[in-house]
Amino acid sequence: MTARTQLLDPAVAKAMSALSAAAKKGLGDPALAELVVVRASQLNHCAFCLDMHLALARRHGVPERQLDLLAAWEEAGDDVFDDRERAALALTEAVTVLTGGTSQAFGSGGGFVPDEVYEAAARHFDETVLAHLVALVVAINNWNRVMVARRIPPGGYTP
Amino acid sequence: MTTYEDTAAYAPEHTPRLNWAALAPDVFKAMLRLDAAARQGLDARMLELVKIRASQINHCARCLDMHTKDALAAGESVERIIQLSAWEESAHFYTEKELAALELTEAVTVLTDRFVPDAVYDRAAKHFEEAELAQLIAAIAVINAWNRFGVACRGEVGHYQPGQYK
Repeated sequence: MTARTQLLDPAVAKAMSALSAAAKKGLGDPALAELVVVRASQLNHCAFCLDMHLALARRHGVPERQLDLLAAWEEAGDDVFDDRERAALALTEAVTVLTGGTSQAFGSGGGFVPDEVYEAAARHFDETVLAHLVALVVAINNWNRVMVARRIPPGGYTP
Repeated sequence: MTTYEDTAAYAPEHTPRLNWAALAPDVFKAMLRLDAAARQGLDARMLELVKIRASQINHCARCLDMHTKDALAAGESVERIIQLSAWEESAHFYTEKELAALELTEAVTVLTDRFVPDAVYDRAAKHFEEAELAQLIAAIAVINAWNRFGVACRGEVGHYQPGQYK
Protein backbone atom coordinates (compact mmCIF):
# COMPACT_ATOMS: atom_id res chain seq x y z
CA MET A 1 0.00 0.00 0.00
CA THR A 2 1.33 3.39 -0.91
CA ALA A 3 0.22 6.65 0.64
CA ARG A 4 -2.17 8.88 -1.31
CA THR A 5 -0.08 11.82 -0.22
CA GLN A 6 2.65 12.22 2.37
CA LEU A 7 2.10 15.97 2.59
CA LEU A 8 1.24 17.47 5.94
CA ASP A 9 2.13 21.08 6.62
CA PRO A 10 4.96 21.20 9.21
CA ALA A 11 3.10 23.83 11.27
CA VAL A 12 0.03 21.57 11.35
CA ALA A 13 2.11 18.53 12.37
CA LYS A 14 3.89 20.53 15.06
CA ALA A 15 0.64 21.81 16.59
CA MET A 16 -0.87 18.30 16.47
CA SER A 17 2.17 16.91 18.29
CA ALA A 18 1.93 19.70 20.88
CA LEU A 19 -1.75 18.88 21.39
CA SER A 20 -1.04 15.18 21.93
CA ALA A 21 1.90 15.89 24.24
CA ALA A 22 -0.10 18.32 26.39
CA ALA A 23 -3.01 15.89 26.63
CA LYS A 24 -0.80 12.93 27.60
CA LYS A 25 1.12 14.96 30.15
CA GLY A 26 -2.08 16.17 31.82
CA LEU A 27 -3.53 12.66 31.91
CA GLY A 28 -0.37 11.46 33.63
CA ASP A 29 -0.91 7.76 32.96
CA PRO A 30 1.00 6.57 29.85
CA ALA A 31 -0.45 3.03 29.94
CA LEU A 32 -4.05 4.26 30.15
CA ALA A 33 -3.26 6.83 27.44
CA GLU A 34 -2.21 4.04 25.06
CA LEU A 35 -5.34 1.99 25.82
CA VAL A 36 -7.47 5.01 24.96
CA VAL A 37 -5.50 5.82 21.82
CA VAL A 38 -5.54 2.23 20.55
CA ARG A 39 -9.30 1.93 21.15
CA ALA A 40 -10.05 5.14 19.23
CA SER A 41 -7.78 3.96 16.41
CA GLN A 42 -9.71 0.67 16.27
CA LEU A 43 -13.00 2.54 15.96
CA ASN A 44 -11.61 4.82 13.27
CA HIS A 45 -9.86 1.94 11.45
CA CYS A 46 -6.48 3.68 11.36
CA ALA A 47 -3.84 1.07 10.46
CA PHE A 48 -0.88 3.41 10.89
CA CYS A 49 -2.08 4.54 14.31
CA LEU A 50 -2.79 0.98 15.49
CA ASP A 51 0.65 -0.18 14.43
CA MET A 52 2.31 2.74 16.19
CA HIS A 53 0.29 2.74 19.39
CA LEU A 54 0.22 -1.02 19.93
CA ALA A 55 4.03 -0.81 19.91
CA LEU A 56 3.90 2.09 22.38
CA ALA A 57 1.33 0.31 24.56
CA ARG A 58 3.66 -2.68 24.89
CA ARG A 59 6.54 -0.38 25.68
CA HIS A 60 4.51 1.23 28.45
CA GLY A 61 3.72 -2.17 29.93
CA VAL A 62 0.07 -2.55 28.93
CA PRO A 63 -0.63 -6.29 29.44
CA GLU A 64 -1.03 -8.40 26.29
CA ARG A 65 -4.35 -9.67 27.65
CA GLN A 66 -5.74 -6.13 27.71
CA LEU A 67 -4.58 -5.50 24.15
CA ASP A 68 -6.09 -8.81 23.00
CA LEU A 69 -9.47 -7.99 24.55
CA LEU A 70 -9.58 -4.23 24.04
CA ALA A 71 -12.03 -4.36 21.13
CA ALA A 72 -14.45 -6.24 23.43
CA TRP A 73 -13.62 -4.46 26.71
CA GLU A 74 -17.24 -4.25 27.85
CA GLU A 75 -17.65 -8.01 27.63
CA ALA A 76 -14.17 -8.74 28.92
CA GLY A 77 -15.25 -7.89 32.46
CA ASP A 78 -13.73 -5.97 35.34
CA ASP A 79 -11.05 -8.57 36.00
CA VAL A 80 -9.44 -7.49 32.72
CA PHE A 81 -10.23 -3.76 32.79
CA ASP A 82 -10.84 -2.05 36.13
CA ASP A 83 -13.62 0.52 36.67
CA ARG A 84 -11.34 3.47 36.00
CA GLU A 85 -10.18 1.98 32.71
CA ARG A 86 -13.74 1.10 31.77
CA ALA A 87 -14.91 4.66 32.46
CA ALA A 88 -12.09 6.01 30.28
CA LEU A 89 -12.84 3.56 27.46
CA ALA A 90 -16.58 4.33 27.52
CA LEU A 91 -15.79 8.04 27.28
CA THR A 92 -13.32 7.35 24.46
CA GLU A 93 -16.01 5.56 22.47
CA ALA A 94 -18.64 8.23 23.11
CA VAL A 95 -16.34 11.08 22.09
CA THR A 96 -15.14 9.17 19.01
CA VAL A 97 -18.51 8.06 17.64
CA LEU A 98 -20.28 11.42 17.41
CA THR A 99 -21.68 10.74 13.96
CA GLY A 100 -24.57 8.71 12.63
CA GLY A 101 -28.06 8.79 13.91
CA THR A 102 -30.83 10.18 11.79
CA SER A 103 -32.61 10.60 15.11
CA GLN A 104 -30.73 11.41 18.28
CA ALA A 105 -33.89 11.01 20.33
CA PHE A 106 -34.32 7.39 19.24
CA GLY A 107 -30.65 6.59 19.47
CA SER A 108 -30.28 5.38 15.90
CA GLY A 109 -26.52 5.16 16.08
CA GLY A 110 -25.92 8.80 16.88
CA GLY A 111 -23.72 9.92 19.71
CA PHE A 112 -24.13 12.77 22.14
CA VAL A 113 -21.68 11.74 24.89
CA PRO A 114 -24.45 10.55 27.24
CA ASP A 115 -24.66 11.89 30.79
CA GLU A 116 -24.08 8.46 32.34
CA VAL A 117 -20.86 8.01 30.36
CA TYR A 118 -19.61 11.48 31.25
CA GLU A 119 -20.58 11.12 34.91
CA ALA A 120 -18.88 7.73 35.25
CA ALA A 121 -15.68 9.31 33.91
CA ALA A 122 -16.10 12.31 36.25
CA ARG A 123 -16.26 9.90 39.22
CA HIS A 124 -12.85 8.45 38.39
CA PHE A 125 -10.98 11.50 37.13
CA ASP A 126 -10.82 14.98 38.64
CA GLU A 127 -11.79 17.88 36.36
CA THR A 128 -8.28 18.72 35.24
CA VAL A 129 -7.39 15.13 34.40
CA LEU A 130 -10.76 14.67 32.71
CA ALA A 131 -10.17 17.71 30.50
CA HIS A 132 -6.87 16.14 29.40
CA LEU A 133 -8.49 12.75 28.84
CA VAL A 134 -11.05 14.37 26.53
CA ALA A 135 -8.19 16.21 24.82
CA LEU A 136 -6.33 12.94 24.28
CA VAL A 137 -9.37 11.36 22.63
CA VAL A 138 -9.71 14.48 20.46
CA ALA A 139 -6.01 14.40 19.57
CA ILE A 140 -5.96 10.76 18.46
CA ASN A 141 -9.16 11.28 16.48
CA ASN A 142 -7.31 14.08 14.75
CA TRP A 143 -4.32 11.85 13.90
CA ASN A 144 -6.66 9.04 12.80
CA ARG A 145 -8.32 11.41 10.30
CA VAL A 146 -5.10 12.82 8.93
CA MET A 147 -3.57 9.34 8.52
CA VAL A 148 -6.63 7.54 7.10
CA ALA A 149 -7.50 10.33 4.65
CA ARG A 150 -3.93 10.33 3.27
CA ARG A 151 -3.82 6.50 3.50
CA ILE A 152 -0.51 6.41 5.31
CA PRO A 153 0.55 2.74 5.41
CA PRO A 154 1.30 1.01 8.72
CA GLY A 155 4.86 0.19 9.61
CA GLY A 156 6.43 3.62 9.27
CA TYR A 157 6.81 4.01 13.01
CA THR A 158 9.71 2.66 15.08
CA PRO A 159 9.51 3.20 18.84
CA MET B 1 -50.05 30.45 21.20
CA THR B 2 -46.31 30.12 21.49
CA THR B 3 -44.49 32.57 19.27
CA TYR B 4 -40.88 32.69 18.17
CA GLU B 5 -40.28 35.62 20.52
CA ASP B 6 -41.85 33.82 23.46
CA THR B 7 -38.59 32.26 24.65
CA ALA B 8 -39.96 31.84 28.19
CA ALA B 9 -41.75 28.78 26.81
CA TYR B 10 -38.47 27.23 25.64
CA ALA B 11 -36.71 24.42 27.47
CA PRO B 12 -34.11 25.59 29.98
CA GLU B 13 -30.56 26.12 28.77
CA HIS B 14 -28.03 23.53 29.90
CA THR B 15 -24.89 24.55 31.73
CA PRO B 16 -21.42 23.63 30.42
CA ARG B 17 -20.00 20.35 31.75
CA LEU B 18 -16.33 21.14 31.77
CA ASN B 19 -14.35 24.32 31.13
CA TRP B 20 -11.63 22.39 29.31
CA ALA B 21 -9.84 25.41 27.87
CA ALA B 22 -9.18 26.79 31.36
CA LEU B 23 -8.41 23.37 32.86
CA ALA B 24 -6.02 22.43 30.05
CA PRO B 25 -4.48 25.72 28.85
CA ASP B 26 -1.63 24.02 26.95
CA VAL B 27 -4.18 21.92 25.08
CA PHE B 28 -6.20 25.02 24.21
CA LYS B 29 -3.09 26.86 23.04
CA ALA B 30 -2.15 23.92 20.79
CA MET B 31 -5.69 23.84 19.37
CA LEU B 32 -5.54 27.54 18.49
CA ARG B 33 -2.16 27.09 16.79
CA LEU B 34 -3.43 24.02 14.96
CA ASP B 35 -6.54 25.84 13.80
CA ALA B 36 -4.49 28.76 12.49
CA ALA B 37 -2.01 26.44 10.72
CA ALA B 38 -4.66 24.27 9.06
CA ARG B 39 -6.54 27.29 7.70
CA GLN B 40 -3.55 28.57 5.67
CA GLY B 41 -4.05 28.44 1.92
CA LEU B 42 -7.73 27.52 2.03
CA ASP B 43 -10.61 29.61 0.73
CA ALA B 44 -12.33 31.09 3.79
CA ARG B 45 -15.83 30.89 2.34
CA MET B 46 -15.45 27.21 1.44
CA LEU B 47 -13.92 26.47 4.82
CA GLU B 48 -16.98 27.76 6.68
CA LEU B 49 -19.17 25.41 4.65
CA VAL B 50 -16.85 22.52 5.55
CA LYS B 51 -17.01 23.48 9.24
CA ILE B 52 -20.79 23.76 9.25
CA ARG B 53 -21.24 20.40 7.50
CA ALA B 54 -18.85 18.56 9.85
CA SER B 55 -20.57 20.17 12.85
CA GLN B 56 -23.96 19.00 11.54
CA ILE B 57 -22.72 15.41 11.18
CA ASN B 58 -21.11 15.49 14.63
CA HIS B 59 -24.16 17.19 16.18
CA CYS B 60 -22.10 20.00 17.73
CA ALA B 61 -24.55 22.76 18.65
CA ARG B 62 -21.86 25.15 19.86
CA CYS B 63 -19.90 24.80 16.61
CA LEU B 64 -23.05 25.30 14.51
CA ASP B 65 -23.84 28.45 16.48
CA MET B 66 -20.35 29.79 15.84
CA HIS B 67 -19.83 28.83 12.22
CA THR B 68 -23.26 29.67 10.85
CA LYS B 69 -22.94 33.12 12.45
CA ASP B 70 -19.39 33.53 11.11
CA ALA B 71 -20.53 32.48 7.64
CA LEU B 72 -23.45 34.91 7.67
CA ALA B 73 -21.22 37.71 8.98
CA ALA B 74 -18.78 37.03 6.12
CA GLY B 75 -21.61 37.46 3.62
CA GLU B 76 -22.59 33.82 3.00
CA SER B 77 -26.18 33.36 1.79
CA VAL B 78 -28.83 31.94 4.10
CA GLU B 79 -29.84 29.61 1.30
CA ARG B 80 -26.40 27.98 0.97
CA ILE B 81 -26.27 27.45 4.74
CA ILE B 82 -29.78 25.98 4.94
CA GLN B 83 -29.19 23.65 2.00
CA LEU B 84 -25.93 22.26 3.39
CA SER B 85 -27.42 19.24 5.12
CA ALA B 86 -28.88 18.16 1.76
CA TRP B 87 -26.02 19.39 -0.46
CA GLU B 88 -26.05 16.32 -2.70
CA GLU B 89 -29.58 17.21 -3.76
CA SER B 90 -28.93 20.92 -3.90
CA ALA B 91 -25.63 20.74 -5.79
CA HIS B 92 -26.52 23.76 -7.92
CA PHE B 93 -26.02 26.04 -4.91
CA TYR B 94 -22.31 25.15 -4.76
CA THR B 95 -19.23 25.10 -7.00
CA GLU B 96 -17.77 21.76 -8.14
CA LYS B 97 -14.79 22.46 -5.91
CA GLU B 98 -17.02 23.10 -2.88
CA LEU B 99 -18.94 19.90 -3.60
CA ALA B 100 -15.72 17.88 -3.71
CA ALA B 101 -14.70 19.46 -0.40
CA LEU B 102 -18.07 18.66 1.18
CA GLU B 103 -17.90 15.06 0.04
CA LEU B 104 -14.40 14.69 1.45
CA THR B 105 -15.57 16.34 4.68
CA GLU B 106 -18.24 13.69 5.12
CA ALA B 107 -15.88 10.81 4.35
CA VAL B 108 -13.18 12.06 6.74
CA THR B 109 -15.76 12.80 9.46
CA VAL B 110 -17.59 9.47 9.33
CA LEU B 111 -14.48 7.31 9.84
CA THR B 112 -16.14 4.86 12.19
CA ASP B 113 -18.47 3.69 9.40
CA ARG B 114 -16.21 3.47 6.38
CA PHE B 115 -12.80 4.13 4.91
CA VAL B 116 -12.36 7.41 2.93
CA PRO B 117 -13.22 5.92 -0.50
CA ASP B 118 -10.88 6.29 -3.49
CA ALA B 119 -13.62 7.90 -5.59
CA VAL B 120 -14.11 10.62 -2.99
CA TYR B 121 -10.40 11.26 -2.55
CA ASP B 122 -9.78 11.25 -6.31
CA ARG B 123 -12.57 13.75 -6.92
CA ALA B 124 -11.09 16.07 -4.30
CA ALA B 125 -7.64 15.60 -5.83
CA LYS B 126 -9.02 16.81 -9.19
CA HIS B 127 -10.09 20.12 -7.67
CA PHE B 128 -7.33 20.71 -5.12
CA GLU B 129 -3.62 20.57 -5.78
CA GLU B 130 -1.68 18.33 -3.41
CA ALA B 131 -0.61 20.88 -0.78
CA GLU B 132 -4.05 22.49 -0.72
CA LEU B 133 -5.66 19.07 -0.35
CA ALA B 134 -3.36 18.26 2.59
CA GLN B 135 -4.53 21.52 4.21
CA LEU B 136 -8.17 20.65 3.55
CA ILE B 137 -7.70 17.24 5.21
CA ALA B 138 -6.04 18.92 8.18
CA ALA B 139 -8.83 21.50 8.40
CA ILE B 140 -11.51 18.79 8.34
CA ALA B 141 -9.67 16.99 11.16
CA VAL B 142 -9.48 20.24 13.13
CA ILE B 143 -13.20 21.04 12.97
CA ASN B 144 -13.79 17.43 14.03
CA ALA B 145 -11.54 18.18 16.99
CA TRP B 146 -13.50 21.30 18.00
CA ASN B 147 -16.74 19.33 17.54
CA ARG B 148 -15.47 16.69 20.00
CA PHE B 149 -14.54 19.27 22.62
CA GLY B 150 -17.88 21.03 22.11
CA VAL B 151 -20.01 17.92 22.45
CA ALA B 152 -17.99 16.13 25.16
CA CYS B 153 -17.69 19.23 27.36
CA ARG B 154 -21.15 20.49 26.35
CA GLY B 155 -20.08 24.05 25.61
CA GLU B 156 -22.66 26.80 25.90
CA VAL B 157 -24.76 27.44 22.82
CA GLY B 158 -26.35 30.57 21.38
CA HIS B 159 -24.16 33.29 22.82
CA TYR B 160 -21.51 33.48 20.13
CA GLN B 161 -20.88 36.86 18.51
CA PRO B 162 -19.18 36.76 15.10
CA GLY B 163 -15.52 37.60 15.36
CA GLN B 164 -15.30 37.33 19.14
CA TYR B 165 -12.31 34.97 19.00
CA LYS B 166 -10.56 36.65 16.09
